[in-house]
Amino acid sequence: MRQDTAGPNVVLLTLSLVALAAWLGLDTVSVAANRIVPGTGYRVAEVIGISGALVTCVPWLALAGLAWRPTPRRLALGLALVVLMLSALPVWLSLSAVTLADSAQARLGIGAGIWVALFLLLLLMIELRTRLVLSRPIGWALLLPPVASAGLCLALWLEPLALWQEYRSRSGQFLGAVGEHLLLVGVAVGTSLVLGVVLALAMRRWPGVQKAGFGVLNFLQTIPSIALFGLLLAPLAWLSAHVDWLAALGVSGIGWAPALLALVGYSLLPMVRNTFVALEAVDPGVIDAARGMGMSRGQVFRQVRLPLALPVILEGIRITTVQAIGLTAVAALIGAGGLGTFIFQGLGQAAMDLVLLGALPILVLALLVDALLGALTDILRPGGAE
Amino acid sequence: MTELRRWVVPLCWLALLLAATLGMGQLEGLFRWIEADSRQVIYERADFLTLLGRHLLVVSVAAVLAILVGVGAAIAATRGWGRDFLPLVSQLASIGQTFPPVAVLALAVPVLGFGTLPIIVALFLYGLLPIVRNTLAGLEGIDPGVMEAARGMGMSGGQILRQVELPLAAPVILAGIRTSVTINIATAAIGATVGASNLGDPIISGIVNGNTAYVVQGALLIGLLAISVDSLFSRLPLAGSR
Amino acid sequence: MIDLIHVTKRFGVATAVDDISLSVAQGELCVLVGTSGCGKSTTLRMINRLIEHSEGEIHIDGQQIRRFRQETLRRRMGYAIQSTGLFPHWTVARNIGLVPRLLKWPAARIQARVEELMALLGLSMEEFAHKYPHQLSGGQAQRVGVARALAADPDILLMDEPFGALDPITRESLQDELRELQARLHKTIVFVTHDMDEALRLADHLVVMHQGRIVQQGWPLELLREPADGFVESLFGGEDRGLKEAALLPVSQRMQPLGHDLPARERIGQQASLREALSVMLWRHAERLTVVDDDGQPVGELSLRRLVGARRDD
Repeated sequence: MRQDTAGPNVVLLTLSLVALAAWLGLDTVSVAANRIVPGTGYRVAEVIGISGALVTCVPWLALAGLAWRPTPRRLALGLALVVLMLSALPVWLSLSAVTLADSAQARLGIGAGIWVALFLLLLLMIELRTRLVLSRPIGWALLLPPVASAGLCLALWLEPLALWQEYRSRSGQFLGAVGEHLLLVGVAVGTSLVLGVVLALAMRRWPGVQKAGFGVLNFLQTIPSIALFGLLLAPLAWLSAHVDWLAALGVSGIGWAPALLALVGYSLLPMVRNTFVALEAVDPGVIDAARGMGMSRGQVFRQVRLPLALPVILEGIRITTVQAIGLTAVAALIGAGGLGTFIFQGLGQAAMDLVLLGALPILVLALLVDALLGALTDILRPGGAE
Repeated sequence: MTELRRWVVPLCWLALLLAATLGMGQLEGLFRWIEADSRQVIYERADFLTLLGRHLLVVSVAAVLAILVGVGAAIAATRGWGRDFLPLVSQLASIGQTFPPVAVLALAVPVLGFGTLPIIVALFLYGLLPIVRNTLAGLEGIDPGVMEAARGMGMSGGQILRQVELPLAAPVILAGIRTSVTINIATAAIGATVGASNLGDPIISGIVNGNTAYVVQGALLIGLLAISVDSLFSRLPLAGSR
Repeated sequence: MIDLIHVTKRFGVATAVDDISLSVAQGELCVLVGTSGCGKSTTLRMINRLIEHSEGEIHIDGQQIRRFRQETLRRRMGYAIQSTGLFPHWTVARNIGLVPRLLKWPAARIQARVEELMALLGLSMEEFAHKYPHQLSGGQAQRVGVARALAADPDILLMDEPFGALDPITRESLQDELRELQARLHKTIVFVTHDMDEALRLADHLVVMHQGRIVQQGWPLELLREPADGFVESLFGGEDRGLKEAALLPVSQRMQPLGHDLPARERIGQQASLREALSVMLWRHAERLTVVDDDGQPVGELSLRRLVGARRDD
């Protein structure tokens, strides 16, 4: 029965002090003369001098101080401070850009210090949100000020930011890639949802199908994605060479066709498993009561079993979609397009900011989809969120 | 006898993997049929045994680190003195699951550079999550009555951990390790694009050069490796029992 | 011998146990009874320091429990709980041998002790020693739990609603066995329950708790006959008290020597309770019963008038 007010909040204390050490000890930004040469790193003190660096320590120390006797008021104050500091990170980048980027070709890179600070601040936000028991929408609303600040800084001062330059030089291509990515994920998840529900229903009716189906799907899931993409290459190439209408459709060994096939294959297991388990796990007492009241089989399924199973099925869709977003990135290797293209192009050219341009949106997409579908599941669960 | 029979299936997969690794050259005829246009149909920049060895090395170093740190962190977060960290650690483990492995790998490169080290770090970090999550679930899932009895009988904290908590949580922890290793075998292959040389190499080089035979060779070996390891895990005494 | 002297337990601002004093004599079976949340389990768990008391002193055989290491203290006491807490990954034999193993007894001695205890609790060695807890019925599991609590031959046994989850028939037979064990082994037992019938069947020393305080304690019949207040009376079930009391008194206490009349046809054992005697009379429409000893030899008789009358002056 440890009480929150009893001692210092060790988590808050540790995280803020570690973040302070990283902030002072690691490079916050790097500046390169152009895209090719490696950049030089700058620590906080090298950007604004020792006294300026000491000023930037104040909020971190204040956070650690608030952790000492954590009343709910102080924790709320700490959360406000964290949001403020998140919003200040883009401002810091702008300041560095104005101070350090002297030529038009100069490119500003984000240093390890900022990444670590960003990561730890987000952790602090999660921790404080949990301690203060804030609802999900408020948690998301807290991200608005930092996002607004980042947008503003990008528009006004952050022209030299390398990541931003990579984006602007291929903004059309970027939006196209996001579209392709979402289309592939959407089609794969949609197809596997339909197939998955049909398969799950068949499994409930015929136990033989259940054993064989799960056997095959489990087996498929163990094969690494890159291998599966590769293994589909040969048969599809052969098919497109020998079946004219498939070739006319654009099916070939590389491109969207093997990607989609593999994505559907991977998506089926979580989909089928969740749908099956969801339908099976409905309290037998409830089904018994429904039958006893004289509901027909169809009525029981539509009015009782399906609504009760829906949250778990949605959970399956969430897992599948998040997984598909990641796998689609790999599919770029076999020419399926999408955000993965930037990652592999960037890796090929050793252009790290291009890699970031691919990887960051994938991360954000995965988190967004996870949050949205999670919220939807909560809404659809009878009686609201748990 | 049954003890031996249990290992037949994984051993068969392992044998198949070894045979494919060593005997890939013998299948030249088959690959020539797949890739009739190319002059060379067997990947020869490095021999397959070396690639397999490097792949295994990277994955196992990352796995050992992830097991030590992950299980350790979860144990620490469930002790009296580490309880403060429990909500954060468990939230982090579940949020981290949504990070796609490719994105994690890609993000490791700008920070750590090209080569084997960033791969190991990325695999280690990503592999931590399922292990932490499952260890927490395993430890938290123990019947409170059992814990109460263990304390009431006068077992010390260490005795309870070693004799009660870890054995009871072992199946769940092991399932986490299995997930972690399976994902990492796949992710390591993608590591070939950031300069680590392993079984992903033939695939990447095949895609780049438009040589399907290379791709199939790499894919076949990675597939066999993943299946062998998964099959080994499923036969471990604790994983399937009860 | 356990003494609680002005013991209080606070959780934050809530007071779970409020200034209680209680003395349990060597070889006594003390039952703490009360509604849920009355502090009876907290009291029990303070004795083996699963919960530390906030104020007052707890003594075991005259020594403060804080003077011992927690583990040492607990290994000196048996502990049995409702959910049994058997380790699911250990066999029955290994479960029973837990505390002796913690105490580093030699293997042969542990083995002998396990066999002895399994015999004592009517668990056949061949059938049960190698079973796992999930293969046992509720009653068998609870027997194993009791055997495990007794394993290192502790003087003190703490039992927290051990029979609470069992069906009535199994529960009664385990209650009887516990009484027999107690008669043979003379352990000092503290037993927590919310079931008043169970409390009356088992207790030498009955303690009624309410809202963290001891409302009344003493010999069960004493409490039954003179409840301190309405709460204690309501626990005894109001109108049911007569039957509860009758259940506590043996036939031998009310029987008369055999008279000159023909012995009654219906018989009752002299160890049976007055409650059972009354039930036989009601069922058989008989006003007289012949009381017989264990061998079935008539030793006296019991009339309905004797059964219901002249109660207090016995």
